[in-house]
Amino acid sequence: MIEIKNLNKIYRTDEIETTALNDISVEVKDGEFVAIMGPSGCGKSTLLNIVGLLDNPDSGSFLFNGQEIAHFNERQRSDLRKHNIGFVFQSFNLIDELTVYENVELPLIYTGVKSDERKIRVEAALDKMQIMHRRNHYPQQLSGGQQQRVAVARAVVNKPKLILADEPTGNLDSKNGGEVMEMLTSLNEQGTTIVMVTHSEHDAQFSHRIIRMLDGQTVMENILI
Amino acid sequence: MFKNYFKTAIRSLLRNKGYSLLNIMGLAVGMASTILILLWVGNEVGMDRFFSKIDRLYIMNNRDNFSGQLQAWNSTPKILGPTIKQNYPDVEDMSRFGNNNFLFTIGDKKITESGGYVDSSFFKLFDFPIVKGNTANAFNGVDKIVLTESFAKTLFGDTDPIGKTVKVDSSDIFTVSAIMKDLPANTTFRFKYLMPWTYRAKINDDDKYWGNNSIQTFVLLKEGAKLSTFNQKVRDITINHTKGNDNSTTQVFAFPIRDKYLYNKSENGKYVAGNLVTVRMFSIIAGLILLIACINFMNLSTARSEKRAKEVGVRKVVGARKGALVIQFMLESIILSFISFLIALLLVVIVLPFFNDLVGKKLAIRYGNFIFWGLSLLFIVFTGILAGSYPAFFLSSFSPVKVLKGTFKKANSKINPRSVLVVIQFTFAIVLIISTIIISQQMHYIQNRDRGYNQDALVFSDMSGDIPKKYPLIRQELLNSGAVTSVTKTMSPITQQYSDGWGFSWPGSVKEDEKLDFTRFSSDAQFVKTMGVKLLQGRDIDIYQYPTDSASILLTESAVKAMRLSNPVGSVVKGDGQDWRVVGIVKDFIIASPTEKVSPMMVLGPHSWFTTIHYRLNPARPVADNLKTIENIFKKYNSAYPFQYNFVDAEYAQKFVSIERTSKLTTLFSALTIIISCLGLFGLAAYMAEVRTKEIGVRKVLGASITSITTLLSKDFLRLVIVALLIAVPIAWYASHQWLLNFQYRIGVPVWAFVLAGVLSILIAILTVGFLSLRAAKANPTKSLRSE
Repeated sequence: MIEIKNLNKIYRTDEIETTALNDISVEVKDGEFVAIMGPSGCGKSTLLNIVGLLDNPDSGSFLFNGQEIAHFNERQRSDLRKHNIGFVFQSFNLIDELTVYENVELPLIYTGVKSDERKIRVEAALDKMQIMHRRNHYPQQLSGGQQQRVAVARAVVNKPKLILADEPTGNLDSKNGGEVMEMLTSLNEQGTTIVMVTHSEHDAQFSHRIIRMLDGQTVMENILI
Repeated sequence: MFKNYFKTAIRSLLRNKGYSLLNIMGLAVGMASTILILLWVGNEVGMDRFFSKIDRLYIMNNRDNFSGQLQAWNSTPKILGPTIKQNYPDVEDMSRFGNNNFLFTIGDKKITESGGYVDSSFFKLFDFPIVKGNTANAFNGVDKIVLTESFAKTLFGDTDPIGKTVKVDSSDIFTVSAIMKDLPANTTFRFKYLMPWTYRAKINDDDKYWGNNSIQTFVLLKEGAKLSTFNQKVRDITINHTKGNDNSTTQVFAFPIRDKYLYNKSENGKYVAGNLVTVRMFSIIAGLILLIACINFMNLSTARSEKRAKEVGVRKVVGARKGALVIQFMLESIILSFISFLIALLLVVIVLPFFNDLVGKKLAIRYGNFIFWGLSLLFIVFTGILAGSYPAFFLSSFSPVKVLKGTFKKANSKINPRSVLVVIQFTFAIVLIISTIIISQQMHYIQNRDRGYNQDALVFSDMSGDIPKKYPLIRQELLNSGAVTSVTKTMSPITQQYSDGWGFSWPGSVKEDEKLDFTRFSSDAQFVKTMGVKLLQGRDIDIYQYPTDSASILLTESAVKAMRLSNPVGSVVKGDGQDWRVVGIVKDFIIASPTEKVSPMMVLGPHSWFTTIHYRLNPARPVADNLKTIENIFKKYNSAYPFQYNFVDAEYAQKFVSIERTSKLTTLFSALTIIISCLGLFGLAAYMAEVRTKEIGVRKVLGASITSITTLLSKDFLRLVIVALLIAVPIAWYASHQWLLNFQYRIGVPVWAFVLAGVLSILIAILTVGFLSLRAAKANPTKSLRSE
């Protein structure tokens, strides 16, 4: 699904250049569950943003489902992203002004799904994440674990092939964190590819493979299964 | 998708009540001011343009040379209209309009009201809405009268007035032939009733003299007739009719009625933008106030950008394109603009009566009017887009990576578009403050100008009905009664100039002096004593003591100067078909405009004519008693007419209505601008305090005092206000200088006004920002640092 070769990303401010990704090459196959680990500043989030089509690499090749997308403009990336990729963030990133239902519905609105169809799919996603009873609540009325379940529901509602999770348990206690990891595992078992950035060795154990990064490069891979 | 935008917008408004309130109120106040001004502008621009034949309607004008200046004016000889209609095939019809003022009597009811004489074709030209009766034959008799609805009600109450009769001028009986709607706000016509021109002939008031310019003449040109061709033909009509007689040099031309109100200023014999200048000025002010309100909105919206950044990021991540977000935020500001409009409309409804008093109009919102709602919708969308454009593009440009990962760099707290917006706002506000000060100074200056006579307890009455005949008796009885200390009859009230003229000669005068224009006034006796003017040489006119005084005159000092007379008293001035002997010289006094130079003036003896009695009340007795005594005397000799009197000081105050109005309006609008600008500044300060929370925290941990932090935060804003001040000063100086040029008697542009405006604006800024700065400075640093 993802083939990254010799990718570079440099952040520039007025006076300083920071190399975030240094000639990195990574491959993720369909149906894989990959964890990316490494110390702060090693470039794992940058990698995730590029994989998630939120950011462009400076050089190198990025094949998504066999298509070269390193040179895509924002509109092309946005189109590809909304149909193929779901995101789960550490800080949930739900829109405070929208209810649980409406937050989950949002990706479907932007992909132009008809309203009847949206209802069916939102309810299915909420059901699956066991948050249906909270559908009319606002994010700030929910616990952290519940918020993250809504975020996961939002990530999966469009039936993406790939879910990117950026420290999904970072703001949760161990019980809620465990539940979220189980949900991701279960999604993976149903065929969704998952790439997860984490600091937690415990969470990483849920994955098939751990990519360890340092200074913008992969330094080690642990294959768990 | 729009439903989702709508929901987000409404909920976001409700969640941030404080900001929303600031935002909506600022915009509502701005919109309300703009609506008020636009109502007024609409009324001005639509003045006299609602007649169905407006494209063919013209008013006849004169053009002539006075003291080297070409002047145009629209009062014409009475004979002009019929002559034009008879001799010019381009003219389909014409009607004249002459003012009149009559006493109406029905039973015991006595009412004096002003109206007009018109030709029978008047309604053919001007299709004012009719309530009852038929206008086609409304004037088919010398004794027919058309009343306005409200005047008919005053006279006849609720009964049907058609066919009813009313006594006019204590002698003639008129029959009501039609009732017309009260005159709308957007017409320059002023009358409560219309009488046929033929009645004027009946009472010997219809002269055929080409030199008497006293009425207005309107013509309706035939379809297809060209104005320029008609004007060429009609140009010399007066010249041709006075050849070998008066030898007038006055040219005649027609001017479109649709432009008569807006282009009412005569310049080199042509009409140029007069009222249109004011209309333009206030349209600009309306635009500026709306812009300021929108800037405010932009400031407050972008100041909240941090709060919205996450939403932008999330929406982008789940698939929103920039365009979709721009539309979302635009829609949001249109919703806000809609809410603000509803509040603005409510504000307008509340203040409209006061505003009408202020501008002296009868403006109204036409709720039933389709166009009004259409324009309102446009106004809402326009304001929404104007206010929302910058925030929409600003917010939608956020990068999701940065906002969602928390590396979102908060905006630079130095120069940014928001600071520029604050500078623009304050520039307007300061220009308006300075203008307000200068206008009110000029107003006080002319109000306090020495009038040259004493207005205290000075009263005048019209010489209506039998008063001219019985004047000697009335005068004597007034003087005997003790209610007055002196009495004089005059050509006009001392607050109005009825007559001026040229063609005078005197010892040592040359040919050019015949073009010297003198203001005419008249008196029988006690002029100096009654008016309280200062006698510089000679004596007062007194026909009762000196029978030859019927041909005596007083000159004012500027007349003496213009005439270059070294020994004026005793000289003979020839003019008006009379030899006048100068008996005294008085100090200049103002009877015309207090904003202009006093023209040379002659006070003529009783060979002249009289319309008004002036009397000075006895200060030793209560005013009410005096008036009661005077009323009894007037009623005794003039029983058909009600006793009417006017205090000179109140009449004189009328001369300041226009400038007072300008002054009040600028005060009002500068106050509004300041309020809206302060809301904006407050919003920006709140934003800055939020952005710099961490900096403040670090500074406090390092030992900064509250004072030093408050100063630090306020300093940047003061800098903006000072920049605004520097930009505003030259603009305000130029604008007020230009405005003051309208007045011959004017103040210099006062420097202190600029200083005061500067101090005021800085003070206002300190008060607005200081509170927030202080609050930010007092906050506990541990909170702000932990949140990073």
